[in-house]
Amino acid sequence: MNSKQNISGAGLAIGLGLIAIASVIGFDTVQMRVPPTYARVGPQIFPYIIAIGMAITGAHIAWKSYRGGDDVIDEVEPTDWKSVGIIVAGLIAHMNLLKPLGFVPAGLILFLSVAFAFGSRRYGRDAIVGFLLVLFAYVGFTYGLGLQLPPGILKGLL
Amino acid sequence: MESFLSLMDGFATALTPINLMWSLVGVTLGTLIGILPGIGPALTIALLLPVTRNLDPTGAFIMFAGLYYGAMYGSSTTSILLNTPGESGSIMTAVEGNMMARQGRGAAALSTAAIGSFVAGTLGTLALTFLAPLFVKLALLFGPAEYFSLMVLAFTTVSALLGASISRGVAALLLGLAFGLVGTDVLTGQPRLFFGYPSLLRGIDIVVVAVGLFAVGEALFMASQSRLRTAEILPIKGSLFMTREEWRRSWKPWLRGAAIGFPFGALPAGGTEIPTFLSYFLEKKLTKHPEEFGRGAIEGVAGPEAANNAAVAGVLVPLLALGLPTSATAAILLAAFEQYNLQPGPLLFAGSSTLVWGLIASLYIGNVMLLVLNLPLVGLWVRLLTIPQPLLYGGILVFSTLGVYSLSNSTFDLFLLFVVGIIGFLMRRHEFPVAPCIIGLILGPFAEAHFRRALSISQGDPSVFVTHPLSAVLLALAAAVIIVPIIIRRVKHV
Repeated sequence: MNSKQNISGAGLAIGLGLIAIASVIGFDTVQMRVPPTYARVGPQIFPYIIAIGMAITGAHIAWKSYRGGDDVIDEVEPTDWKSVGIIVAGLIAHMNLLKPLGFVPAGLILFLSVAFAFGSRRYGRDAIVGFLLVLFAYVGFTYGLGLQLPPGILKGLL
Repeated sequence: MESFLSLMDGFATALTPINLMWSLVGVTLGTLIGILPGIGPALTIALLLPVTRNLDPTGAFIMFAGLYYGAMYGSSTTSILLNTPGESGSIMTAVEGNMMARQGRGAAALSTAAIGSFVAGTLGTLALTFLAPLFVKLALLFGPAEYFSLMVLAFTTVSALLGASISRGVAALLLGLAFGLVGTDVLTGQPRLFFGYPSLLRGIDIVVVAVGLFAVGEALFMASQSRLRTAEILPIKGSLFMTREEWRRSWKPWLRGAAIGFPFGALPAGGTEIPTFLSYFLEKKLTKHPEEFGRGAIEGVAGPEAANNAAVAGVLVPLLALGLPTSATAAILLAAFEQYNLQPGPLLFAGSSTLVWGLIASLYIGNVMLLVLNLPLVGLWVRLLTIPQPLLYGGILVFSTLGVYSLSNSTFDLFLLFVVGIIGFLMRRHEFPVAPCIIGLILGPFAEAHFRRALSISQGDPSVFVTHPLSAVLLALAAAVIIVPIIIRRVKHV
């Protein structure tokens, strides 16, 4: 078996990503100014242990993915990146529009983007179901359970 | 005897109309989310945490426990009729149960699953009733060093036994521990990993992480795999009344499933998945009809379905007596205890015995409710399976963002949810287990507190962890869990 053919890009990236997170934790912990009374068993020990553990695990995963073998992390199935992108866009729109537009319109946008990403093309049905669901959730949670959800453009109407 | 009297008091609590109502709400909601693929008990309880903050804790826990049991009942229906496990504890049920449904024996499969769940759930609850007080006595022997070592054992078993490889499990655990570091250190007030964001000073809420991994990550993953989007729902065929033959072939697997499920739930090994696998392979070995396995053997449904319900009762033993979560759902339940300022362990049994025994008693009642809900009414529940996937996931994400936003009315939490969701997507895509991450997040701060407390008692001498015998045994077990599988693999390779 030619191991060079088995290099897994995803596994390598994940391994290196873990090493990156480990260095962020390590860097943050080095910079802490801790009063000497706590120096021995202070707030720094655990972060160091976690950072070291994560760096070792990351290196292990990266090395295995580079070398190839039975334990590789790899692309398993073809990925529909377009659908992933649509949901990501929906989530970003939702978090930015929630306060200015309000819970109902922002939630509806999120709902429609997810439905579209899952392959639904029945826009009318999705819009009606989504609108009723979001409206029901808003009314139920604000009046029933006393949560404060942003009313946005529908302020005064609901 | 002591347990029996406490249990009677518990029934007095659980049988009040308001608590019966919470139990009914819990088991109904549990069945619902168990049946719906893509939403499980850990996610649902996490989403309920912000809205139950002002409830009476007894009622809330009765609801949560009913929900956990109910999810195990409901998920078998999905496994049998849709060939997609509703929860990870029903993966094996999907193998034989779906084959039975294809041969027109779906009703019998549903019956043996529901009755088996009832038998095993009740036996498991009985075992919980009498074992939990014993575990509490054990817990009294535990000091900070022992607690820390116990948590290390939980960390290593969860990371070694779940997921596609040990390194993936360990990476998921460390990620969870790192999430747990964010915020103000409780003992010294030192801010850690907050990157200048004041919102991060109070830490990353477990609800954000659980919802991010289970809902957002899962939705992104399902959307990315178009082949997972179509599934065929089989109609229920046959009689829900099992034949004499079916009873004869079911009762032993039920009992064996319960006997496997309960201890494995109680061990820090990740809850319901492993015992259901074990039960399946045991039944496959013991059956007089080996030719039916893989083609719809009733034993392969009866055993695993009993095992997953008994495992749920098992999970509650270390959770209530030691504060040790052994599954993702148990980790969320521990967060619920935190929310009400309750500390599981001997103090909980002494100080909040109404809650503990009311909760345990409610499990007996909940099991009866679930049997009624799931057998005669199964035809109604099945209609849930016809909800189109685009609408289902749209709804899940709307409620997920709602729950996370309502934690502190902050869009920053929604941003965190998004980031964790991306991480969850990558984990799901590359077969990293999620449970170690959740358990690491909730248990990490406890482990750290016990670690530092033990060291300050010993004045900085780290040998406390190995000179205390109980602690040394736990650490040795923890090391063995990681090392033994590696040695076995090496030996096999040679």
